[in-house]
Amino acid sequence: MDTTLWIINALLPLLYLGAVGAYGLSFFADHAAARRGSRPLVLLALAGHLAYLTLLTLRWQQFPAATVSQAVSALAFAVALVYLLVEGYGRSRATGVWLLSVALLFELLAALLRSTAPPHFERFESPLFAVHVSLALIGYAGFVVAACYGFLFLRVYHDLKNASFSTFFGTLPPLEVLDRMMAGALGCGFAALAGAVASGAVWAERFFPQGWQSDPKVLITLATLAFYGVVLALRASGRLRGRPIAWASLAGFAALLFSLLAVNLFLSRLHGFR
Amino acid sequence: MTPESGMASSTIETQAGSLLALGVDHRSAPLELREKLSYSPEQQAELITHLRRRAEIVEAAVLSTCNRTELYLRATGDGDALTPAFETTFKARSSEIDVDGRCFVFRGTDVARHALRVASGLESMVLGEPEILGQVKKAAARAEENGWSGPVLANLLQHAITTGGRVRRETAISSGAVSFGYAVVELARSIFSRLEDTCVLIIGAGETARLAARSLLERGAGRLLITNRGRRRAEQLRAQLPAAEIVPYADRDRALSRADVVVASTAALEPVLLAPAVAAAMAERRGRALLAVDLGVPRNIDPAVGQIANVFLQDIDTLEALIERNLKRRRADLQQAQRLIEEEVMRFERWLSGLAAQPLLDQLARHAENLRRHELERLRRQLDPQSFAQVERATDSLVRKLLHHPRRFLRGATGDPLPDRALVRRMFGLEDLERRGR
Repeated sequence: MDTTLWIINALLPLLYLGAVGAYGLSFFADHAAARRGSRPLVLLALAGHLAYLTLLTLRWQQFPAATVSQAVSALAFAVALVYLLVEGYGRSRATGVWLLSVALLFELLAALLRSTAPPHFERFESPLFAVHVSLALIGYAGFVVAACYGFLFLRVYHDLKNASFSTFFGTLPPLEVLDRMMAGALGCGFAALAGAVASGAVWAERFFPQGWQSDPKVLITLATLAFYGVVLALRASGRLRGRPIAWASLAGFAALLFSLLAVNLFLSRLHGFR
Repeated sequence: MTPESGMASSTIETQAGSLLALGVDHRSAPLELREKLSYSPEQQAELITHLRRRAEIVEAAVLSTCNRTELYLRATGDGDALTPAFETTFKARSSEIDVDGRCFVFRGTDVARHALRVASGLESMVLGEPEILGQVKKAAARAEENGWSGPVLANLLQHAITTGGRVRRETAISSGAVSFGYAVVELARSIFSRLEDTCVLIIGAGETARLAARSLLERGAGRLLITNRGRRRAEQLRAQLPAAEIVPYADRDRALSRADVVVASTAALEPVLLAPAVAAAMAERRGRALLAVDLGVPRNIDPAVGQIANVFLQDIDTLEALIERNLKRRRADLQQAQRLIEEEVMRFERWLSGLAAQPLLDQLARHAENLRRHELERLRRQLDPQSFAQVERATDSLVRKLLHHPRRFLRGATGDPLPDRALVRRMFGLEDLERRGR
C-alpha cells in the first residue's frame, strides 16, 4: 500500500496539471478539444485524489490531516471540489485555469512535503474530529475560491475602469457573475468554517477541557469568522458590493494563509503538526 | 475584351463546361459606380433571362449587395461566355466599368475559392461581417427557385454557405464587436450577467443614439428609456423603436437610478450628465454597476463620473480601441480561415470531378454488366434455376466489389490525384466499344 500511495502521490500533480492545461488552452486559445476534455480531466483528478485520501485514511487508521503535507493535500482536494461545484452553478468554465492552478499549487506543495510516517494521534480517530477537519478544509477552500474570484473581479474591474482591454476582457464571466460567485464561495466558506468551529468546540471540550479557548488557532479563526461575517452582512444589506468585497476576499485569504502556515506550524498547541 | 484582375488559374473542366465569376466590389469600384451596377431582385430576373438565351450559358446566379455585384456562371466551354456576360451585366449600365481593374474575373477553381471567401466574410469591408452570409443564402435560394442555377452552381453556393458557417464557428473571424453599437453591447455584457434584465437610458435622439439603442435592443436589452431636450425628436425616435419609453428631459437625473446603461449622444456643448447626479443615483442603486457611454463630441458626460465607484465611463476613444482590438483578433485568425477555405475548395473540386467522372463511371458499369450478362447467358442452360440464381447473385456482388475502388478513385474520394479519364477508357477498352457502337 505504501508503494501505491507513493505512486498516486506522484501522479496527482500531473493529473491536476493536465486539467489546468486543458482549461488554460480553452481559455487562452479557445481550443475546442481542450474545452471538451477539461471537465473529464478535473473529474479524473478528483477521483484519483479521493482515492488517495481514502487510502491514506485506511493506511494510517486516522483522518489524513496529521502532517502539513496531508492537510495541504486535503485542502487542494477541497479547492478543486468547490471549484467544480461553482463551475456547475455559474455555468462557466472561464475561471477554471485560475482556480485549478491554486489546487495544483497546493498539491505540488503537498507532494514535496510528504513524509513517510505521520504521527499517530488518538484524537484523530474520533468521527467528530473528522467532521471538524472536513468542515474546516471546506471552509478554507471556500475562502480560497472567493479570493481567486476576487482577483479576477478586480482584473475585469480594472480593465473596464481604465478602458484597457487585456486578455481577461471578454473571456471571463461578467462582473455581476464574478461578484455572485465570489459571494457564494464566501458564504459557503463562512458556513463551513462556522460548523468547523462549533464541532471543534464540542470535540475540544471532550479532549482538552482546559484552555482550548485561548489556543491561538481558535482565536485567529474566530477573528477570521467575525471579519467574513461582517463582510457578508454588509453585502446582504447592500452597503458593500463588488470591489470592496473582492479586496476583503483577498485580505481574508492572506489571513487564512497565515493561520494555516504560521499558526499551525509555530503557535498553536492544539493545531500544530507536532 | 473584359479586363481581368490578374487572378488567372487552372480551369476545372466539368463534363459540360467551366465555371466563371465576374463582378465589382468595394475594393475595385467606387460607391457611385457600384450604385449603378446594383441589381434588385426584379432586375436580376430580367438579367438572367437575357443571359440564359445564350447557348453557351448553362447556369447563372447573381449576388448584389451594397458592396458588391457578382455574377456566377457555368458555361459550356464552346464560345465566349465572358464577353456577353460582361457587356450585358456591367457595360450596359456604365462605361466606367471599362477602366482597368474595375471588374474582376475568376475562372475554374478560383470561382469556388472566391465564392467561399465572400460567404466567409473575408472579402467584406469589415472582415468577418455576418450579413454577407445571409445575402449569399438569399442569392442561392433565388437562383434555385427561379431555375437559374443547376447542379453545379447550386452546389457551389450551398458549399459557400456551409463553409461560411464553418469558418465563423472554428475561427475568431466574426467574433467581437466591430461597430459602435455592438461595442456598447459587448461592454454591457462584460458587466451584466443578463442583458434582458438591464434598463438602458438613451440621452439624445440623433442617428448615433438610434444605432446604439437598436444594437442594444437587438441583443436583448430589457427596457429602453429615451430622453431628449426636444420632445418631438424623442417621439420620432420612439416611433422607430416602439418598445421605448420617453422620459422628460428634466427628469433624466432621476431616471439614472433605474438605468444600468446610459448612452449619451447629443450636440450639447456642455456635459448633460454631471458627477453629483450620478453619485446620487448610485447611492439609490446600492452599488449596482452602471455603464455610462459618452458618444458626444464635445463630451456629454462629466469626466469626473468615471471616478465614482462601480461606474464605468467609456467614450468614443474607448469604443474605437475595443473595435480595433477585435479587428486585430479577427485578422490574427485570417490564416486559419484561409486554410479552412482551401480545404473546402478541394472538397468542392473533388465533388466536381466526381460529377465529371459520372459518364465514364456509367459507361464502365454498363460494360461490366454487359460482360456479366454475356457470361451468365452461356451458363443458363448448364445450370438448374437455383444454382443459376446463386451464380447471378455472386457475379453481381463480384462486379460491385471490383468496381468499388475504381469508382471512388475516379470520383476523387480517395484523396489521390485524379487520373486521366482517357487513359482509364483505354485501360478498360471503352474506346474500342465506342468505336464498335456499344
